[in-house]
Amino acid sequence: MIQSLILSTLMFGAMFSVLTVSLNLQYARGGMINFGTVAYFAAGAYAYAIFTQEPPSGLDQYAFGFDLPWWVGFLAAGLAAMLFALVTGWPTLRLRGEYLALTTFAFAEVFHSILLNERRIGNGSVGMANVERPDPASIGLDDTLGYTLAACALMLLTAWLFHRLLASPYGRLVDATRDDEIAAESVGKDTARVRLQIFVISAIPIGFAGALYAMITTLVAPALFTAEVTFFVWIALALGGERTIPGAILGTLALVFFQELVRAIPFETVRGAQIAASAEEVITGILFILVLRWQPWDRLSRKAGS
Amino acid sequence: MTDTILKLDGVVKEFAGFRAVGGPGGLSFGVRRGGFLGLIGPNGAGKSTTFNLISGVMPPTMGRVTLDGTDISALPTAGIAALGLGRTFQTPRAFGSLSVIDNVMVGLAHPEESPLAALLGRWKSAEKQLIGRAEAALERVGLIQRRHDSVSNLSGGELRMLEVARQLVREPRILLLDEPTAGVDPALQGKLSEILAGLHAAGTTLVVVEHNLGFLMSLADSVVVLQNGALLAEGTPDDIRRDPAVIAAYLGADHEA
Ligand SMILES: Nc1ncnc2c1ncn2[C@@H]1O[C@H](COP(=O)(O)OP(=O)(O)OP(=O)(O)O)[C@@H](O)[C@H]1O
Ligand SMILES: [Mg+2]
Repeated sequence: MIQSLILSTLMFGAMFSVLTVSLNLQYARGGMINFGTVAYFAAGAYAYAIFTQEPPSGLDQYAFGFDLPWWVGFLAAGLAAMLFALVTGWPTLRLRGEYLALTTFAFAEVFHSILLNERRIGNGSVGMANVERPDPASIGLDDTLGYTLAACALMLLTAWLFHRLLASPYGRLVDATRDDEIAAESVGKDTARVRLQIFVISAIPIGFAGALYAMITTLVAPALFTAEVTFFVWIALALGGERTIPGAILGTLALVFFQELVRAIPFETVRGAQIAASAEEVITGILFILVLRWQPWDRLSRKAGS
Repeated sequence: MTDTILKLDGVVKEFAGFRAVGGPGGLSFGVRRGGFLGLIGPNGAGKSTTFNLISGVMPPTMGRVTLDGTDISALPTAGIAALGLGRTFQTPRAFGSLSVIDNVMVGLAHPEESPLAALLGRWKSAEKQLIGRAEAALERVGLIQRRHDSVSNLSGGELRMLEVARQLVREPRILLLDEPTAGVDPALQGKLSEILAGLHAAGTTLVVVEHNLGFLMSLADSVVVLQNGALLAEGTPDDIRRDPAVIAAYLGADHEA
């Protein structure tokens, strides 16, 4: 029981950390507030499912199924998220602050409702079940362990690449663009381009994470990709102290651990489980308020600094 | 015929109907290549706004700005900067999260400043070559000892010099400075005056807005006076000092030439 708690925390924690780390790049470094995170995640998951599933038959309402190997679907997921970021970022990135937040949120809601209503994409609200996935047994691992390792690998690779991206002259330009766009423009830097690049680059791992999520759950359905995912990732980022990559990861792991803990409690009745689910939300909210109020990470780093 | 590098033709800027620059007929004047133009006038005359129009920080409502024959009125700030125009701001701008040296490094056109170069890690040698230029610029403005400091530790005058260094390192063909001596101590003003004289001697075109006329008039070879957004007078420093209209509007009656 303890072991399965740790494994599922690591599996979902690492997978959602990919989202938090990407959001950290967009927000803490790029200065862009994206409240549509779930849409890039969904784009990845749906792209993966569409590229790997068999062509429609029988009761299927979806129009495309390419029956390609998993790795093609995985690459398609990154590409889909990237294209979606290009299409949504290009017209919106001249907006600032809360305006950008609202527009990205609206894009995600529109995307969600298209997935829900356009059945030819993915069977509408029913979604696509039995998503194909590689079998970890082929390399001698059981399913949970295999996908936990895959999630950790994706998280570490994303963190390493983003660290490398930012610890460079380009990272300096990203910081300069966020700090003072007019000053950066005045020395000839194309800040609109930098912002779009960061927006698009950070969407790619989110798409990969979406593919991984589809493999883990073997289901893609609109109900899995609601604004709740976006807010979950934002809360994790705030919990982790939003400045550093390790902070973003720790915040996500802590939040996922807490949720998995509540879910691991065995309940005798449906009523008990319902109460626990509500309690979980309330406690998450209280935790969030406490962290924002007391800023423990800031205090810790100040202590470490002095 | 003199060689004009920068030219304003009937330029007008209105804010919600209020004409900040232009006056009745639009603002027109030229800057001679290699010249040192002083731009003066009372508070609110439109000097900083004129800089904003030239550098593309805001578009003119009407009229045309040409740099070396190219119409730049509709170009974005970065495009104009890339043509070799540099400028500083009346309120100094700094990249608050970066160190002093990195603030200057951002000024350079870095050949390896791309996501790909970052991921491939192939920027280190280019960086090593450029850092010497940034340090030389900091040396010139007297900030070399502070190079690893955070800019949040700099004083107002130091921030102003940092902004000058960020432009110096780019070696612009034409440099616009908005009140470079404001809040800068006398010793540093002397240094600044040397730097500007050096740039002038090397052929850089300079346009300087300044209320410190002792500083400006000793350096400038021509002066444009603005009042209420319109051109009040234009001439050599000596002409301007004696111009009765300028004395009445800006210099004051008890002004000593
Ligand atoms: N962004 C803006 N929006 C509205 N009005 C503005 C704006 N910028 C400048 N103005 C107005 O335009 C006029 C000229 O301002 P500007 O800053 O160019 O003057 P200045 O000559 O630089 O004055 P100072 O010597 O005080 O720096 C002022 O009346 C100012 O209030
Ligand atoms: Mg001004």
